[in-house]
Amino acid sequence: MNRTSKLLTTLVVAGGMGLSFSAPSYAEEITLRMAVPDWPPTRIMKKLFDENYEAKSGNSVNLEFDFIPWPDYYTRLNASLTSGEQKYNMAVSDSQWLGAFIEGGYYRKLNDLIDADPELKTILDGMHQAPLQAYGTYPYKSENIYGFPQMPDILITYARTDVLCEASEQAAFMAKYSTKLPCTPEELDQMDWTMYGNIGEFFQRKKGDMLAGEPATDDFYGIAYQAGKGYDFSSMQINGFTWQHGAGIWDETNIPNAQAEGVVNSDLAVVALDRYLSLLKYMPPVVKTGSMDIFKTDELFREGKIAMNVQWIGFAESAINPETSKVANDVAFASMPGLRKADGRIDRSSNIGGQPFVIMTWTEGQEIIEAVDFVKWWLSSDIQHQFAAAGGQSAIKAVYNDPKYVTYRPWNRTWASGLEWQRDVWHIPQFFELLVQQQEQFDLAITGKQDAKTTLGNIASFQQRLLEDAGLIQ
Amino acid sequence: MKWISRKDRAREVDRAGWGRTAGAAIASFIYFFPVLVIIITAFKKHTDALAVPAKLFPDFMGWLVPERLTFTPTLENFVSVFSRSFTTGGAAQDTGFDLFFFNSIFIAGSSVLLALAIGTLAAFGFSRYPLKGNDTYLFVILTTRMLPAIVVIIPVMLMFRITGLAGTYTGIILLYTAFNLPFTIWMMKSFFDELSPDVEDAARIDGSSDRGVFFKICMPQVVAGLAATAVFGLILTWNEFLFALLLTGVDTRTVPVAMSQTIGGDIGVRWGLLAAIETLFLIPVILVTFFLQNQLLRGVTFGTVKR
Amino acid sequence: MNTTTAAHSSAGKLLAFRWDNWRLALLATLIGVPLSAFVLPNFAAVVATCILGGLLVITSVVYSWTRHVGGLLVAPAIAVLVVMNIFPLLWSLGLSFYNYRADRQSLSFIGLRNYERLLSDPVVWERLTTTATLVVLTVAVQMVVGFLFALLFSKQFPLRRYLLILVLTPMMLSYVAVGAFFRYYYDPTFGLVSQVVNMFTDEPFVLISSTGGAIAAIVIADAWMWAPFVMLLVLAGLVSVPKHLYEAASIDRVPAWRRFWSITFPYVKGLLMLALLFRTIEAFKLFDVVFILTDGGQSTETIALYVYRQAIQFNKTSYSASLSYILLFTVIVLTNLYLYLANRRTKEG
Repeated sequence: MNRTSKLLTTLVVAGGMGLSFSAPSYAEEITLRMAVPDWPPTRIMKKLFDENYEAKSGNSVNLEFDFIPWPDYYTRLNASLTSGEQKYNMAVSDSQWLGAFIEGGYYRKLNDLIDADPELKTILDGMHQAPLQAYGTYPYKSENIYGFPQMPDILITYARTDVLCEASEQAAFMAKYSTKLPCTPEELDQMDWTMYGNIGEFFQRKKGDMLAGEPATDDFYGIAYQAGKGYDFSSMQINGFTWQHGAGIWDETNIPNAQAEGVVNSDLAVVALDRYLSLLKYMPPVVKTGSMDIFKTDELFREGKIAMNVQWIGFAESAINPETSKVANDVAFASMPGLRKADGRIDRSSNIGGQPFVIMTWTEGQEIIEAVDFVKWWLSSDIQHQFAAAGGQSAIKAVYNDPKYVTYRPWNRTWASGLEWQRDVWHIPQFFELLVQQQEQFDLAITGKQDAKTTLGNIASFQQRLLEDAGLIQ
Repeated sequence: MKWISRKDRAREVDRAGWGRTAGAAIASFIYFFPVLVIIITAFKKHTDALAVPAKLFPDFMGWLVPERLTFTPTLENFVSVFSRSFTTGGAAQDTGFDLFFFNSIFIAGSSVLLALAIGTLAAFGFSRYPLKGNDTYLFVILTTRMLPAIVVIIPVMLMFRITGLAGTYTGIILLYTAFNLPFTIWMMKSFFDELSPDVEDAARIDGSSDRGVFFKICMPQVVAGLAATAVFGLILTWNEFLFALLLTGVDTRTVPVAMSQTIGGDIGVRWGLLAAIETLFLIPVILVTFFLQNQLLRGVTFGTVKR
Repeated sequence: MNTTTAAHSSAGKLLAFRWDNWRLALLATLIGVPLSAFVLPNFAAVVATCILGGLLVITSVVYSWTRHVGGLLVAPAIAVLVVMNIFPLLWSLGLSFYNYRADRQSLSFIGLRNYERLLSDPVVWERLTTTATLVVLTVAVQMVVGFLFALLFSKQFPLRRYLLILVLTPMMLSYVAVGAFFRYYYDPTFGLVSQVVNMFTDEPFVLISSTGGAIAAIVIADAWMWAPFVMLLVLAGLVSVPKHLYEAASIDRVPAWRRFWSITFPYVKGLLMLALLFRTIEAFKLFDVVFILTDGGQSTETIALYVYRQAIQFNKTSYSASLSYILLFTVIVLTNLYLYLANRRTKEG
């Protein structure tokens, strides 16, 4: 037995060595850990923090950014939260994840902090309602605040001026459609889906055909927008079409009376989806694979294969950077096209993008004070201006209405008017189930395996059943 | 050990000439082509990466191919792996990839060695001193490899949190060791099974201890097996993604996890950067494989997998 | 000894509280871990698990110490596996009988309800069929390509070691790079495949526009990556065929295919089986390539991708656990079938 007990001791010691304990922290040093997706808006935030931040409390606040690559960000954040490891004090979150993580008890409700802090309340009052509601409220549009805008984002039009403004193309377009091919940002602002479709039809050139006065070196297409199966890479565009046509998605602000069946698949919604699908035939062939997501359309645009693209503002920087874009010097930015109504007005209703940041429920005591101070610093006019000057966007009215704002980047001119049209998709905990099924159905329609009516019928009946089971429809 | 060398000679590999080389070269080149494109892309500027027609030739080969198929090679991407600006016009900062490379090498290396040590012992045990229900043990060991990793993530994370192993080297190394063990045990057992027991018995009669038999007689004969197992283990561990994503911290992050920062941010794929990281990341594992290759191909028969 | 006494004595042996009764410890672990996971708070559950696991290890060691040296050699490996693999496995087995969701705090025991739901869900069967198709195709292609390459490299020739490395490289790549670049190769506008086809047809080539095309795309990428694995194993067998056997055969003018069948094949059979076994197990978990290339579009959603959605995206933890146990069961049955066939052949041979 002697040998055995020696062995056991060894085993126990070996096991004990596996345990490691975190270093003790000093009272005046506060460390806040924040999970953020790895991309410029968060990198700029870190840069500004490192350069400027001094805590008002006099404490030495150390904000640790954990930069996680975007493709795996949800997986990592979700696993971290649900496993209960309580690793992060704050996180940048997609607005759609709010419901799941609030119901799970991870995101902290902030109303008590806001009520206790007039300064913070003033900041929130000065914010545009659309992003504030989309990023902060749960249930959507209620009074409960859970998040603040980190990087707000909207869909806009990217356009190639070298192709659109070229004289022979202008003349040919005028001859064919008896209307001017839009070329300046102001003209592009007036574009509706009919015009967008015409441009798509007009610019379908095979390799060797004349394009802007020269033979095209490759097949060329007029238009693109997102039509991919992954994540939300078709819903974000289709929702806009749906709202513009006066149809709706399941209305989570009206629980439990709102229905899915009959709403999601209303006749108007079918018309809207058909409209969306009708433009796909003018787009590059990759659309048939169901993998034309926001990254693919972006690539097609920067490589000069399309004349126009509807894309998030957050991608614009790389379109005008000569190191990443072949069309860097010839890009104009305008509002997203919309549906022209009978009175000539264009409805540009669209799905908002972008991310809020949130504070976790286990952030307590001095930590929460410092976290709120950080939020106030971030949303302060000066820092928001610096963020915008580095390529970010602001949801604070006083900031984006400042005449300086439009001078920061060429696409900022679309920001103030664009915000007015923004709405958001669901925030309920079942968000991902709704989204995955909807993307799957849309993908079938996009790849031509199913018509709009069947598609929306399938989506409506699935949502009706799921939401009834969840008690959200009665 | 006269008869071992005789056996070795008997197993000497057939020789073939340059004809076989030519055939193999063509086949290998076609097979390698997708990797070659990645390596070539690592030397391209972003705007060259997706050019149509594809620019597959560096410009110093311009005398051989039309100019539109050539690009000017650049080392920019390799520099960017370690230091680049994350925002437009911002100053270049350290990306932390030197640490990530170290982490990958350290974690994969330690866990493969650990799995080899533990697994070889176990394999020897299973082979020479079969337990009651030996095959059941072996089979249960194999089943641990059958579940999608995603399912065991929650309990593993919970365990790591409570033991404080989350984000530590110890944690991920132990996990990868467990990850490598089934394969190691099965491989090594089949090597041990093939050894002739006569030599061992002879050695025992000559007065060798069990330990002596293991180290002096058996181990030298399974060096090839060790090498092969190490290479397989390394390859499986080297690119493991999910556990690395969820269980490493900022300081212990491995390259595969960090690599996906080149995808799906504000610009789709950073082709050159992704290719450069992958190219650098290939070097260590190729070197190890290359140096172990002789052992790998020395030739040993395996027994049938038994149940 | 007749069966009654055997049963009686083994029951008695099972229940004896002795330091070498590893069977009891195993039983206690199997029951105790899933139970404690829910009855006790998290910390206590892990402590309980450690104690039970520890007991299992101790009893096994004590048992084998007195009987087999082998047990002791095996113990460290078993210990690591129990802690890192078996415990999470049992934990999720326990979970599968509850309606636990990782993003909620509520929890109740629902017995086999998850399994009932699963087995009657047509979507699950669809995903299983898709997975089976992909597994059969990708493993078959890997085996054939791997085997051919192994034959090619089975003889010593100049530059062999350098060329061999070229063939081995694909399996050393990470999925992130393979996924991104294969998307690029298949892309109708930018892709290399399309450019080559374009030279003949003048139309962009869209591979992933049908289920067949999408499956081909996935199989090519996955098989390309893992055929070298098969090759390496087979090669190890091929080079070990004693030369004199061939010499004898060539004197007897045995036809090539018979030479292969009766001399070469027996030497590589074991390794071929091992390769087949491991590749099948891995192919059942096929996830990354599908996720990146189609995200399950064109009816290519595999069961592993489905599990990912249930477990991570929908946070249906219990449901996904039971789903993976169905998967585990399937793979176990398959593996046993393989091993049974392999052993039968050996006995015949």
